Amino acid sequence: MKTDRIDIAELKEELEKLHSASFGWALSCCRRDYAEAEEVLQTVYLKILEGKARYRGESSLKTWLFAVIRKTAIGEYRKRLVRSLVFLGSSERHDTGVSPADAPTTLLEKSELQKQFRVALAKLPARQREALHLVFYEDLSLSEAANVMGISIGSARQHYERGKKHLREWLSHTETENGIVWRRKETPSAV
Amino acid sequence: MELSGEEKKLQALFSELKAADEQTTPHFGATWNRAQSAPRRIRIFNPAFVAAALLLVFGVVVFAVWSRYSRTATSPQPVIATAPQNPGNTARAEAPPTPETPLPQSKTAVVLSRNKTTGQRNVMLSAANRKLQKDAKSIASWTSPTSALLESPSDEIFSSLPELNQSATQLKSFLPSRSN
Repeated sequence: MKTDRIDIAELKEELEKLHSASFGWALSCCRRDYAEAEEVLQTVYLKILEGKARYRGESSLKTWLFAVIRKTAIGEYRKRLVRSLVFLGSSERHDTGVSPADAPTTLLEKSELQKQFRVALAKLPARQREALHLVFYEDLSLSEAANVMGISIGSARQHYERGKKHLREWLSHTETENGIVWRRKETPSAV
Repeated sequence: MELSGEEKKLQALFSELKAADEQTTPHFGATWNRAQSAPRRIRIFNPAFVAAALLLVFGVVVFAVWSRYSRTATSPQPVIATAPQNPGNTARAEAPPTPETPLPQSKTAVVLSRNKTTGQRNVMLSAANRKLQKDAKSIASWTSPTSALLESPSDEIFSSLPELNQSATQLKSFLPSRSN
């Protein structure tokens, strides 16, 4: 019992260090829903406290934690889906008053490009978005990302490459569009 | 991993996103404490347990019903319809003497129901015996439809014997009455 407490205390310290990254990953898994991400993270911590999720040292703590977050987010999403199917018509989902549009993250958006980037990211297939997030946002290697996603490294690479291709296309498109807009702004009489 | 120009742009966008997220990340202590104080969900109604319990109850009910019906199906004695050896005895057999002794109040209902079943059984038995008697009579009085063909005028001769002290004329009567 004593050793368990020590383990939990040690784990708590490690989790605190990873908290910010964990929240970012939870946000990505919950389609940038702030309230849902917070709930998922809380559920993950509860799982750890109850011993339902145990770190066995088979991978790095970050990889393990991210895999737990991902699984929990998927589970919560499924539960919500089932609940919405059962209570068809009546919106059972508790409204926290923080819609994605009003979420603090959105409020803190500094650039129009960032806003568009989030929209483009949300449009990507889940696996592609996850692969890109884990590599670019969390600085994980592809093998670590594959570990978190529970797929082979080959599949992870494929998702990563496809996602990158989609974002590249979006980026070039946006740049062209912005370029036109900027030019119009610079010389309004030209058109 | 070396990043190309567009990848660097993507990296910058993700970094910006990360910075924005970090500013809005809820405090670790708050989340951790909420998780600690959250009510532990103890599943009282475990679906598997409930299903097993229901199955068990259903099994017990089915067994109880089956045992009850199987007992009621086997309990009435099969009526062995035997031909009465002495018809006079049937009347006695039909109504067996029941001892009319005073019974305690609590057992009255049980005794009444038992008497009822015994009476029903006796009625069934007597009906079967009556049918048997009728059948026996009809079998005894049965005659073949071709029996008339077997009859002949000389049947009398064979059926009766002449006696020695009879006169000749009387003996003649045994002869066939033919003119030629």
